[in-house]
Amino acid sequence: MNENFAGIRKTIDHCVACTACMAACPVMRALQDYRGPKLIAPAHGRLHFSQDDFDRSLEFCSNCKSCDRACPNGVSVSNLNMQQRGKFFESHKHSQRDKILAHIESAGKKIRTIPFGHQAANWGSSVGKILGISEKIGITAKRPLPIYARKNFKTLFKSIHQQKSDRKIVFYPGCYINENDPDVGIALIRVMNANGIEVLIDENFRCCGSPLISTGFMNESRLLAENNSARIQDWKSKNIPVVAACTTCSLVLKSELAEIFGDDRFANNNVFDAFEFLETIDLNLNLASVPKRILYHVPCHLKSQGIGLPAREILSEIPDLKIELADAGCCGLSGNFGYKKELYDVSMKIGRELFDRILSSDADEVMSECGPCRMQIQHGTNREPMHPLEILAGAYLPN
Amino acid sequence: MDNPTVIIIGGGATGLGILRDLSMRGVKTLLVEKGDLTNGASSRYHGLLHSGGRYAVKDQSAARECIEENQILRRIGKSCVEETEGMFVRLESDDPNYESQWIDGCKSSGIKIKKISVDEALKLEPILTSKIVSAYLVPDAAIDGFRLSWQLVDSAKRFGGEIKTYTRAVGIDSHNGKIIGVRVRNRSGEHEIPCDIVINAAGGWTGKIAEMAGLDVGVQPDKGTLLVFNSRLVNRVVNRLHKSGDGDIFVPHGSVTILGTSSMSVPTPEDTSTSRAEVENLMRIGSELIENLPKYRLLRAFAGSRPLYRPKGGAIGREASRGFAIIDHSMEGLDGMFTIVGGKFTTFRLMAEKISDQVCKKLGNSNPCRTASEPIVAEVSSKSRENVQKFFPSFGLNLAANRLGKDRFEKVAKKLESEPESRQLLCECENITRAEFEVIASEETSTDLDDIRRRTRFGMGTCQGTFCTFRAACIFGKNSAIDSTREMLFERWKGIRPVLIGQSLKQAELMRSIYISSLDVNAGGELF
Ligand code: SF4
Ligand code: SF4
Repeated sequence: MNENFAGIRKTIDHCVACTACMAACPVMRALQDYRGPKLIAPAHGRLHFSQDDFDRSLEFCSNCKSCDRACPNGVSVSNLNMQQRGKFFESHKHSQRDKILAHIESAGKKIRTIPFGHQAANWGSSVGKILGISEKIGITAKRPLPIYARKNFKTLFKSIHQQKSDRKIVFYPGCYINENDPDVGIALIRVMNANGIEVLIDENFRCCGSPLISTGFMNESRLLAENNSARIQDWKSKNIPVVAACTTCSLVLKSELAEIFGDDRFANNNVFDAFEFLETIDLNLNLASVPKRILYHVPCHLKSQGIGLPAREILSEIPDLKIELADAGCCGLSGNFGYKKELYDVSMKIGRELFDRILSSDADEVMSECGPCRMQIQHGTNREPMHPLEILAGAYLPN
Repeated sequence: MDNPTVIIIGGGATGLGILRDLSMRGVKTLLVEKGDLTNGASSRYHGLLHSGGRYAVKDQSAARECIEENQILRRIGKSCVEETEGMFVRLESDDPNYESQWIDGCKSSGIKIKKISVDEALKLEPILTSKIVSAYLVPDAAIDGFRLSWQLVDSAKRFGGEIKTYTRAVGIDSHNGKIIGVRVRNRSGEHEIPCDIVINAAGGWTGKIAEMAGLDVGVQPDKGTLLVFNSRLVNRVVNRLHKSGDGDIFVPHGSVTILGTSSMSVPTPEDTSTSRAEVENLMRIGSELIENLPKYRLLRAFAGSRPLYRPKGGAIGREASRGFAIIDHSMEGLDGMFTIVGGKFTTFRLMAEKISDQVCKKLGNSNPCRTASEPIVAEVSSKSRENVQKFFPSFGLNLAANRLGKDRFEKVAKKLESEPESRQLLCECENITRAEFEVIASEETSTDLDDIRRRTRFGMGTCQGTFCTFRAACIFGKNSAIDSTREMLFERWKGIRPVLIGQSLKQAELMRSIYISSLDVNAGGELF
């Protein structure tokens, strides 16, 4: 559970140069110019004193965190890389592109202020106009931008009627579910309600900060960390857990912020992945048969949480449902990484193994917890994957 | 070479300084060294270019010499000196009277100091303890002993100077009270090299060399142990402002930090052993300046012997003079024999100048000393750095340029440009390209991997040779790859063994298992 993963991973002094992280890095496999995890922070971080210099490798790390899992010594390679990226931007200017990619939370808000903004935002080129996105500033035109939902989750939430209950959770939707995929949030409410749990939301939660961290906006991300951690602690004091359905959000809130900022206050053991939480309760097993075969792509950021595959455990309770693991590495999108024009091809190359696996599979559905993974899969295979909560919600019989 | 006029015995900083000085004055000079250059005290120390602050209370003439030489070396040895500056800090527990004596001492020795607030000190060096009560900036710097030595050789060679490494002096011959030559032994056997003058600059071995000539020179080897940390803990030299003691100086050195030094009289300069007790003692004292010190990873421990001159009945240890002495043995009936002993690394040039003056006087050579005004080697210009930047690994250009000096740098850059595969990193921890390794390896003086290691720094970073030794051994080619590997790893192990705690233990076990399982080389022997 959470406690196992809380606590700070280790610094460069713990690197024994074993190279395990290099073999695990998906970007390294796809991009020959990339020097790889061990060489960015652990090795060459020691040499920065020698000259003012820049290595493009610092741009190439997608913050997928595969390296951290591989490291036998618990070195927080990806976070050390992100720290260095942040350090770089202390003395260098961000591009317009990076600013936009980092601030998806405010982009969402902006779109909501325009009448029929979501519609405009979904007409391809209009998105560019509203958010200032174009190939010219370095955002690829080869992939569609995330589609904005007609109403965001927080708006929909207000119209949902739930039974009051003593057992409550706070749902942390994160930017993607809130703006682009509110159905996942609705599914979560159905699942929780079916288990006698009332779902609350907290309007004061902000973006987890992942897009800011991976683009080197450390100060802003720290402000979010302060805010969100205080909210989480507040709910903890009321004995109400915070549950996320996006594995990046939950990873960031659990441990990443604490590692990046070296601040224990940001290590939150009151945050749970939705299925991790469901494993802790006495699950309602009144589930309808779902005679389907499901191909499951496990997101990198779930693997990195070291909690196993709770979605598979829970979904295997559904009669007649079969789950197969795609086991095909990283999808390659990694948040905003694959939106960068110069990295689009790398992103697609990384995803190739997963695409091929899906294209050659005759499974009825593809599923993955992570929003960006689902977008990448759709882009690479034309199949529309589901979130496991949607499958579970479908199995609960209407009562 | 025709027979030299002068033979210098001992390839430490002093001997090499003399080689350069005499060669520049047109004296035909040969230096013989029993091992590789600077295998004695000149590299086995903390690499501090003293401002003199450390001697400001006890020995102001030494302090004055230090600050003068410090300024000179910054000018002539740009690529060996890292101008870090230094900081003296006094802790609550240190004697406040010493501080005022020190301020006066610096003033009268001509050392510019600048008082800074405690806050400022902690801002500059956040890792230091908050128990600081006062702090000063001083013109200390870091200096690389290996590099300086090689650059002195390069410089001397331009003026006709010669060196023979791995060449041991085994006898000093005289006729009618006059030096006639030195008998040496090397791989090709034993032979005599005739000369008129012998300079004994053998550091800790000075007494032994003197004995060969039937003379008695009192040298007390004083062993100093030092610790190397895996990263730059501090960005400037940090000294404790108190009566000099063990473990009170941190010197940032390239990618690492060196903590030193202890002081212990030992019977022989060959004793460069280090023990866990010494390591723990240094850690304990070092932790007074940096409380979190035990959390940082140690790479190794090493020791060197300062050759303290001990005139009959003189003091030993820290109380002994760190000054130097020149002995013209003609007084004792051996004409042409000189000994130089004592001193410290920072003042090697001055020592060389003084003895060269005496030797030249004897030779009737009136050329003045030029060592203080001419740069040791030509610097690599920023223009030529820019031109080849793209072939070097990032964060690797300046380090390589400073290590290599102009001529070799150009060679390495050319190789990197024309042979893309030579851009591979041979040593990933210290960013050493295969090209640099190959250029240095091809030089005549590179007889084993350790010689190359000292000049390139490969194998001296985090993994201590775990991943570069086999690569280097395969490329090197002069010896069998297995023998090279074994030799290199044994040397690495010597320094690792006393610090087998925490991460260095894990690293060591990884290294051992890789080499046992792949090459059947048990580098470590018994671990504990
Ligand atoms: S975070 Fe991912 S892309 Fe970055 S170094 Fe680690 S494995 Fe490679
Ligand atoms: S896996 Fe860990 S210990 Fe091994 S090289 Fe990478 S960071 Fe270093």
